[in-house]
Amino acid sequence: MSTPRPTSQSARPTGRPTAELRFEDVTVRYGSARRGHTAVDRVSLTVPPGQVVGLVGESGSGKSTLARAAVGLAPLTGGRVLLGGAPVPTRGRRRPLQMVFQDPYSSLDPRMTIGDSIAEAIPPGPSREERRAEVARLLELVHLDPDRAAVRPGLLSGGQRQRVALARALAGDPQVVIADEITSALDVSIQGAVLNLVRELQRELGLSMLFISHNLAVVRYVASHVAVMRDGVIVEEGPAARVLADPHHDYTRALLAAVPGTRTPRRTP
Amino acid sequence: MAAQRTRQPTRRWRQVVRTPLGAGASLLMALVLLLALVAPMLWTDQADAVDTGNILAGPSAEHWAGTDNLGRDILFRSLVAARLSVGLALTATAIAIVLGLLLGTAPMLLGRRLGRLVTASVDIAVAFPGLLLALFFAVIFGVGARGAVLAIGIAGAPSFARLVHTLVAGVAARDYVAAARAAGVGRVRVLLRHVLPNISEPLIVNATIGAGGALLSFAGLSFLGLGVQAPQYDWGRLLFDGIGALYVNPAAALAPGLTVLLAGLAFNLFGESVAKGLGVATLGHLPERRSAGPATSGPPTIRAEEPVVAGDDEAPVLDVRDLWVSFPGADGPVQPVRGVSFAVRRGEAVGVVGESGSGKSLTALAVSRLIEEPGRVEAARLQLLGADLRTGSERAQRQLLGTSLAMVFQDPMTSFNPTRRMGGQLAEVARQHQGMTRRDAFGRAVDRLAAVRIPEARRRAGQYPHEFSGGMRQRAMIGMGLMGSPALIIADEPTTALDVTVQQQVLDLLQAIREADDVALVLISHDVTVVGEVCDRVLVMYAGRIVEDLAAADLATGAAHPYTRALVAAVPDMETDLEQPLAVVPGRPVAPGEVPAGCAYAARCPLADDRCRAEDPQLASFETPDHRVACWHAGEPIPVDGPREPAPVDPVELVEVDAP
Repeated sequence: MSTPRPTSQSARPTGRPTAELRFEDVTVRYGSARRGHTAVDRVSLTVPPGQVVGLVGESGSGKSTLARAAVGLAPLTGGRVLLGGAPVPTRGRRRPLQMVFQDPYSSLDPRMTIGDSIAEAIPPGPSREERRAEVARLLELVHLDPDRAAVRPGLLSGGQRQRVALARALAGDPQVVIADEITSALDVSIQGAVLNLVRELQRELGLSMLFISHNLAVVRYVASHVAVMRDGVIVEEGPAARVLADPHHDYTRALLAAVPGTRTPRRTP
Repeated sequence: MAAQRTRQPTRRWRQVVRTPLGAGASLLMALVLLLALVAPMLWTDQADAVDTGNILAGPSAEHWAGTDNLGRDILFRSLVAARLSVGLALTATAIAIVLGLLLGTAPMLLGRRLGRLVTASVDIAVAFPGLLLALFFAVIFGVGARGAVLAIGIAGAPSFARLVHTLVAGVAARDYVAAARAAGVGRVRVLLRHVLPNISEPLIVNATIGAGGALLSFAGLSFLGLGVQAPQYDWGRLLFDGIGALYVNPAAALAPGLTVLLAGLAFNLFGESVAKGLGVATLGHLPERRSAGPATSGPPTIRAEEPVVAGDDEAPVLDVRDLWVSFPGADGPVQPVRGVSFAVRRGEAVGVVGESGSGKSLTALAVSRLIEEPGRVEAARLQLLGADLRTGSERAQRQLLGTSLAMVFQDPMTSFNPTRRMGGQLAEVARQHQGMTRRDAFGRAVDRLAAVRIPEARRRAGQYPHEFSGGMRQRAMIGMGLMGSPALIIADEPTTALDVTVQQQVLDLLQAIREADDVALVLISHDVTVVGEVCDRVLVMYAGRIVEDLAAADLATGAAHPYTRALVAAVPDMETDLEQPLAVVPGRPVAPGEVPAGCAYAARCPLADDRCRAEDPQLASFETPDHRVACWHAGEPIPVDGPREPAPVDPVELVEVDAP
């Protein structure tokens, strides 16, 4: 992967300004009022324009629910999700907030070519020819051969599928991208390439990004801010360097202590 | 790699015809349809010819099945009736499908509240027997062919709607539907583009079987006099006419009865064989992890020079020499494990790392005799505690493996029987292998659960697997392995499905068990950092071979194989330089079916030269006897030309992912 350094092409293709994503008192409850389960409990979180916020937590902590609520896949029980000060549109074809899913094996329709999957996310307007050119541009952006747009996902590896998923998210010309555990289903050797790509795209396009992961080392590498979530509540939040070097909350400390490789390796007997 | 779900549809359909049953059913189906098409054109005149001199006659050379009360030939009438019978049945099925699709997809299109209403009404309708509904509607729509078609169509709709609803719900939960909706694709479009194509196959199967049912229902309605009315006639009507003359001419009822039978059989058999053909293809086949079926047909046994006594400090707990695992593939056998040799000493922790498809899990399964047919395991030596695992009775082997070897799998949920209490499942091991009484075995189970730090072990032993959290289930799985007195624990990605904090607890537990009882551990993981932290020694696997065998402490700085070094560098840790891009292993792993000549890693290796591409390096000692590397350029510095620039566009290499 090439070094993510600002280049002459760093201007966004459409020149749309990036926006701030703000969760205000967001609550998501499932089930009835009495016997329900609160997956996200009055969470407030801001993703500043052009920044990457890492959201860390264990399974069941509500981090994926928060992401799904933002794009309208989970119903809000309370609170608001604002994009640049206005509610995130969850209807209609223009979706300035896009999401990349965890499992690249189930996030692409096995019966559709990757070109069609990407083209589907392009808002209506451009002609067939323009769409094809846009698909080619997006594939190139994620370092895939544009000539392969007619291939079905069954022929691609996990890493390549995840790149297609990234291209599809970018096809919607988003201001903010939510990446939900996008490397946890990938082999370590491929994870690096996808992380490099995420950093490169984020810097080149100036995207705001909510990067969800359970892996602190990965979040540390990608995000400038970190929020730690547990049982539906954000327990700690701040600049990545500060949170990871000087955690204030016990749970953050426990998470940091559990990162493999942080304890001294065993010596050979 | 995740099992491949997509296959060429045409190939699947071809598979339907390939079985004898499928071919027969297809032929029968084609005959019935052909008959429905051509019979009225050919034989209408004969069927309608009135012969008053020959009324209600029995079978004769002229009229094979006799004649009816107007002297018309019953055989010809039965043949000509095929068009009306099949046509009406297909129309009714079409009505059922269209209504079923509308009702079944309505919940997705209408939103939650209205959708629930539709689902509830469908559920109620499903509760009524189909024939009862048909009779009810037949009364409403009036006697006659049109009324019967509507009645049978509408009566068939609820069950079809239920099926569609279930299938739609299954596909709608997939991420690609969520992705399309998040991208702003409308509901109708999502339904047409993503959902319906992905549920079409089961729908077609059920429609075919449904058509058979409609055919029989129609014959039934006509037979009752509620369906087709004279002068029109279908099979049911002919049956109705024939029954009256049953004692005079049994053939008059038998002929239409036989045609109904054959046509019904054609539809149902065809539907079943389509279902079978498609079903087989969608399941795919991967070696299961259950049931120890010995599939060994090893090369001529090489006797170990000195029979090793179990418990001898010098003898390895596990000794594997030249282990091969092969599966039959489309183009000859595929060998995911190619000549692996290693030994595990008493109390030693050996990590096995590699990417998916490197053969690390299959190596473990081969050792524990869990490779199922058609997989084959061959080895020059395969010894656990000095006992040869390739020979000996299955019973003795099971005894040895059951007591001396503990396996821990990635997903503890599927490793337990969900309908039985934990304590009983653990106790079963001791009763099977150690011949303990029920009470003693249960006592030991509680003791073992406590040993793996499950709080309130006695109460927990009475609970079911779903009442345990993921980490606790994994600990219980380890506890199950400890029911015997294992000398070796093989843990295959034991923490991959767990959260980091829980992962740490499980790793700590494994460590504690090792230290307490001097148990050896083989830890298989894709995570180099986990292995480096827990193990003494690390085996790095690539394309079915061990490419490096080194001390875990040397992993970070002393690795000699370029692949090991790349693997270590590719994983970000808490000290990774944030300014630099992560090191990347270029290219992709080698699939088991397409191992190239020479070193399998050559295509991705920065040090590769012509020799690497021609000659496969063997695992050989490097610097110290304990450090083994399979590389022609072991330890050579990797050329640094800044951060390695990849080709700007990574061409999409095509892989056949259908490999077994």
